[in-house]
Amino acid sequence: MDTLLTADVAARNPRERRRSSTYVDAIHDMPENGELAPAQLYSTESGRLFHSGRIVIVTVGLPARGKTHLSVALARYLRWLGVKTQVFHLGDYRRAHVGPGKDVPEDYFHVDASPASVLMRQKILKKCRDDIYFFLNNEKGQVAIYDAVNPLAAGRRSLAKEFSKHDAQTLFIESACDDEKIIEENVRSVKISSPDYIGWDEKDAVKHYLARMRAKIPHFETMEEPDLNYIKMINAGERITVNNCTFGYLSHRIVFYLLNLHIKSRHTYFARAGTSSEEDSYKADANLSEQGAEYARKMGETLLAHRDKERQAMIHRGGPDVPLKPLTVWTSTRRRTVETSQYLYEKGYRVRQRSQMSQLNPGVCEKKSEKRIRMEYPDEVAKHEQDPYHHRYPRAEVSDDLSGCNRWADGLMGWLSRIMISQSA
Amino acid sequence: MSVDLSHIKTNGIGVPQVEDTRICVVMVGLPARGKSLIAGKVVRYLAWLSIHAKTFNVGSYRRADTPSPTADFFSKGNKEGEKMRQAAAEAAVSDMLRWFRKDKGIVAVLDATNSSKARRRWVAERCREQDIHTIYVESKCDNEEIIMANILEVKTTSPDYKGQDPEAAALDFRNRIKNYENVYETIDEDEKDLTYVKLIDVGSQVIINQIQDYLQSRVVYYLMNLHIRPRSIWLSRHGESEFNLDGRIGGDALLSERGELYARKLPELVASSVKDGQKLTIWTSTLKRTIATARFLAASSKGYDKLEWKALDELDSGVCDGLTYQEIADQYPEDFKARDDDKYNYRYRGGESYRDVVIRLEPIIMELERSENIIIVTHQAVLRCIYAYYMNVPQEQSPWMEVPLHTLIKLTPRAYGTEEQRFKANIPAVSTFRSKGSTAKHQ
Repeated sequence: MDTLLTADVAARNPRERRRSSTYVDAIHDMPENGELAPAQLYSTESGRLFHSGRIVIVTVGLPARGKTHLSVALARYLRWLGVKTQVFHLGDYRRAHVGPGKDVPEDYFHVDASPASVLMRQKILKKCRDDIYFFLNNEKGQVAIYDAVNPLAAGRRSLAKEFSKHDAQTLFIESACDDEKIIEENVRSVKISSPDYIGWDEKDAVKHYLARMRAKIPHFETMEEPDLNYIKMINAGERITVNNCTFGYLSHRIVFYLLNLHIKSRHTYFARAGTSSEEDSYKADANLSEQGAEYARKMGETLLAHRDKERQAMIHRGGPDVPLKPLTVWTSTRRRTVETSQYLYEKGYRVRQRSQMSQLNPGVCEKKSEKRIRMEYPDEVAKHEQDPYHHRYPRAEVSDDLSGCNRWADGLMGWLSRIMISQSA
Repeated sequence: MSVDLSHIKTNGIGVPQVEDTRICVVMVGLPARGKSLIAGKVVRYLAWLSIHAKTFNVGSYRRADTPSPTADFFSKGNKEGEKMRQAAAEAAVSDMLRWFRKDKGIVAVLDATNSSKARRRWVAERCREQDIHTIYVESKCDNEEIIMANILEVKTTSPDYKGQDPEAAALDFRNRIKNYENVYETIDEDEKDLTYVKLIDVGSQVIINQIQDYLQSRVVYYLMNLHIRPRSIWLSRHGESEFNLDGRIGGDALLSERGELYARKLPELVASSVKDGQKLTIWTSTLKRTIATARFLAASSKGYDKLEWKALDELDSGVCDGLTYQEIADQYPEDFKARDDDKYNYRYRGGESYRDVVIRLEPIIMELERSENIIIVTHQAVLRCIYAYYMNVPQEQSPWMEVPLHTLIKLTPRAYGTEEQRFKANIPAVSTFRSKGSTAKHQ
């Protein structure tokens, strides 16, 4: 997620939009079919959630406060909720403008910058904002995330004004930090991996980077504007201030997401249920087959062996010799998932049934061959072929229902669990 | 080694769902800041989700000894009053801790002003002894209008002022608030190690500090969705369906002739209960019968927006879908009986229980709390669950409630409890209500 690595990629890209440089991360590389939001709560003509309106999320914060990480995480979450979201990293536009290997003038971020620097700033901003408007107006975008430092209150006010002229609400998210340790850790993990610091001692590199940033951006005002909508995250979520954000569904969901973002690290393992005795029927809710039961035992054994190996490895690396964090098993309420968890249950692990985790209900298509479905529901088949993701066979569930507000979103937040046994969807 | 699977149940009975943490929600704030309202809603919401929750109101403990105190009782210099108030807090907290121990409580709400830092520390210490997390919820409001409205609406009906002149009561109450203001300390930097939520001027600013776990974040999310703007929720079942006529459950049938009449009449019925200019949003399920029922309302000149929610679909009756109760009793006699024994928890084979429906409705409730005027056209079981949330109906009762067809229900949330009105369309329909043990097609 290093912003420096992608500068040349952005430079080559006609519209400056970032492609992830090292791997496909599904956030910067939009799917070929741009109309296809991953999972919508419900669909509307405009392709937007109508009770949310158009929103520009504007990040605020000094470098190394996790703004980029935050914007990418938010974009991933919002897209998964079915909201068409795109991130615009101003840094990419800046780097693309000056060209590879070069930097903006020293006074670029200063309040009393030279006319040439101000002009350059305006040019870069304009390009980025034009892309944002293009996304909102012509690509059915609903949320644009504008990732930049935005250090001054006056600048933020005029931003909000400008976006409202374009019929979009503005939500600022400030990432603030008064814990030097967190900042240094951030610098270490994302900032000093750039070519500039090859061969440097880590500590010196961190110091140098922070000093350079302090000189580069000497003025920064934390958000206190009572009239703006803002969320201020302090120390990666230790404290969150939400100001004036009563305007909608999405801002509340975002806050809820941020509240859960920092909660302790954990592993989550996924496993499918064993095969059942009546594999092709949803309604039957059948027991595990013999083969399925055998799988359940082996899967349990494998998991426990893996966890033990992890623990040994941790001790080997000099970690403390303590028991692993407790393992909780989540299953759906369908019989074969519960039965698949049985081995672990007998070993003393806690098993919880969560109805949100059930397989997609096939509705009227249950137990029917494709040929028969085509014969009986020709209209539905035609609709399905046009929009396989959102189309719903009569009474059936679609992937939307899983990831949209309806079933998963809330359950997912509370992942205390470490293994989830589910059926295929 | 083979695994013994014989005792596994997926019908929801006998599956312990233990929460990971227990929390005490400690209310903080001057009188007339809506603390009791918030406390009541949180408990109702959690109880609806089967999370064992209870309010402990310090005022009611104090009232046992001092039923109608004057404002002077609450002044800083009144040693006797201070002592008695401390005793009331002691009693409430002791009872609360006993409830956690004996009744396996999960979330307690300590409803009091808890206005000093010392008092808040004391509560945290008492809870920590029993490994109970505390989360402080401060309602801070300096908006005179809101405070005055609160005083008039709620406090003049308070048990402390029973039988007194309302004007004198309001005046005395203002003086009581002044006495509290003298000792009131808002939550600040000194308490940054505590988990807290500070709601300023009814949510225009919210500060959230040190949230530790999922249950806490859920409570916070719920609090953030609450608002106090006046609003109503209209509930209606779909019009009578062809399946209703046959006494069949589930399915995706179309409306009967009489159901069609109801659909045509619905706009008029709604209009009679809506104030001029009030904007409604229509929510339906994804099934044909609710969409058909709402279609004239959606097409009316009022320009109401409409949403179809999968979460509002009828309880899935699995293998019993499309059967009559008689057929279920014949084909699945054990299931038929099991369902009567515990209708809330019974899960149809390959289908859902009422408990499952509540879980999938939770986001709907959250969205309802956040929204203003909504009309929901849905199904019997779903409507029972939503109704149970607003009217605080216990789980043993809610699956057996009678919700007739062709009737519009209007719910208006008030400070304490919800007001209900019913509007009948006067279009005959079969009764789909089934009493315990009965297999009758129509009662």
